[in-house]
Amino acid sequence: MAPSLSYREKSLYASLATELLVYGPFFFLHQQISLNKVAGMIIAIVVLQIILQSIIAALTRNRITDERDRLIELRGYRAGYLTLVSLMVIGLGMLWFHATVDRFPLDSRMVGLHFLSVFFGMLIIADITKTATQIVAYRRPL
Amino acid sequence: MREMTQQDLADRVGVTRQTVIAIEQDKYSPSLETAFKVAIVLGVPLEQCFQYDPHGKR
Repeated sequence: MAPSLSYREKSLYASLATELLVYGPFFFLHQQISLNKVAGMIIAIVVLQIILQSIIAALTRNRITDERDRLIELRGYRAGYLTLVSLMVIGLGMLWFHATVDRFPLDSRMVGLHFLSVFFGMLIIADITKTATQIVAYRRPL
Repeated sequence: MREMTQQDLADRVGVTRQTVIAIEQDKYSPSLETAFKVAIVLGVPLEQCFQYDPHGKR
């Protein structure tokens, strides 16, 4: 019998779609970052997730999770953590490099927003990596 | 007597149907606890349900 999607898989696809829909413009449209935009994105993703996850929960009869789901979840979190740590190391290395050669081409008022943008981007990439890793893990041998 | 479906087995073992399918297709090695539960539900010895293949793909 063909394996249909489990509750956790449906939930993950909804999460990934929401993340790409809300965070996509952040990367692809190169919009000017601001505190309001970050707050707006966070609120949008929370609201969309609540709506989508509620619909999935209402439409899915069997909502149990088992040991395989938990193992896949752990793998996803490991991938997300490693991505975040790697990006942090790269980001801090670049910061150190710019500070060393004294070529930090940003107005001092913009430094805070710049860091907000960079670290928020890192969190987004790590989160998307976590979700995508879990989706792939459901389709591959463990 | 009705044959046991994947969903029946999954419900009685306490896993999802997708996990039962993954075990059948050799895509997931269950924990000992789950393996014992499967054997008990099916009413057969553990070694009849699961065999270890040292030359397996995974």
